[in-house]
Amino acid sequence: MPLQTHRGSRRPPRDARTEPKEEPVFDRLLAALAPRRVVHAHCDLPCGIYDPEQARIEAESCYKILEKYEDNSDQHFRTRAIAIKEERAELTKHHIDVMWHDYFKPEHVEKFPDLHDVCWQASKQASKVKQSLDIAEAKKLLELIDRIDEMWKATGGPEKTRKAAAVAA
Amino acid sequence: LIEPALGRLLRSWRHRVAVSGQSMAPGLLPGDWLLVDPDGYARRPPGPGDVVVTPDPRSPDRWLIKRVTRIEPDGRLELAGDAPDRSTDSRVFGPVEPTALGRPWFRYWPPPRWGRVR
Repeated sequence: MPLQTHRGSRRPPRDARTEPKEEPVFDRLLAALAPRRVVHAHCDLPCGIYDPEQARIEAESCYKILEKYEDNSDQHFRTRAIAIKEERAELTKHHIDVMWHDYFKPEHVEKFPDLHDVCWQASKQASKVKQSLDIAEAKKLLELIDRIDEMWKATGGPEKTRKAAAVAA
Repeated sequence: LIEPALGRLLRSWRHRVAVSGQSMAPGLLPGDWLLVDPDGYARRPPGPGDVVVTPDPRSPDRWLIKRVTRIEPDGRLELAGDAPDRSTDSRVFGPVEPTALGRPWFRYWPPPRWGRVR
């Protein structure tokens, strides 16, 4: 993100009514001193908070919705169930991707060589659950998320990427 | 004696930067303008406690400013912000390669904060 300096820039001709005032000397001096680049001392949002539980809750919703779908023959209910399950499955996939892209680091892959494969399978499985009415697919999704959870725990995730809940005194 | 100092000043003037973000507070604040010596770590590599300017390993066009907290056995640098709860650093992107490092050494703006970067 290079900073613009005013040096050497010539104003384009303008309408007389909108002609701006001459730049004060101080502004021109500052412009000449202005840095050329920005260095970032930032916190990206989200602020390093990660937990596969977020994916699991959405995936559990899919599981439960499919259970209820089976037990209910009302057409309106079933239509709603499918719509909501698709939405939840999409959210599951998003949360799996956040773990994969943002939480896991190269050292974690060294420790768990199948990390990429598990995350990939889990994302794909979330797509499958979105399409399917088979509860076994939802169960498989939960199992894959649990494997991500194991890797998150084994890499210190709970201590590093969650904030401890306030304890009532 | 004068010549190396002048060389460093000219090099650094070409690499002047503006700080954005709060992760190096209170030492470096958003809006601080710094001189960065691109050869500052050429002879002596940075050690724990040194401030470095380095490309963001996730997006090399973007430059980060952080403090070195540890040197890994393989020579890579672990970086952290001085304000850890407002910083994205090696906790997120892991240690970084010790290449393409600049040494921010002087704050020339704003005038009340004029002085060496520590």
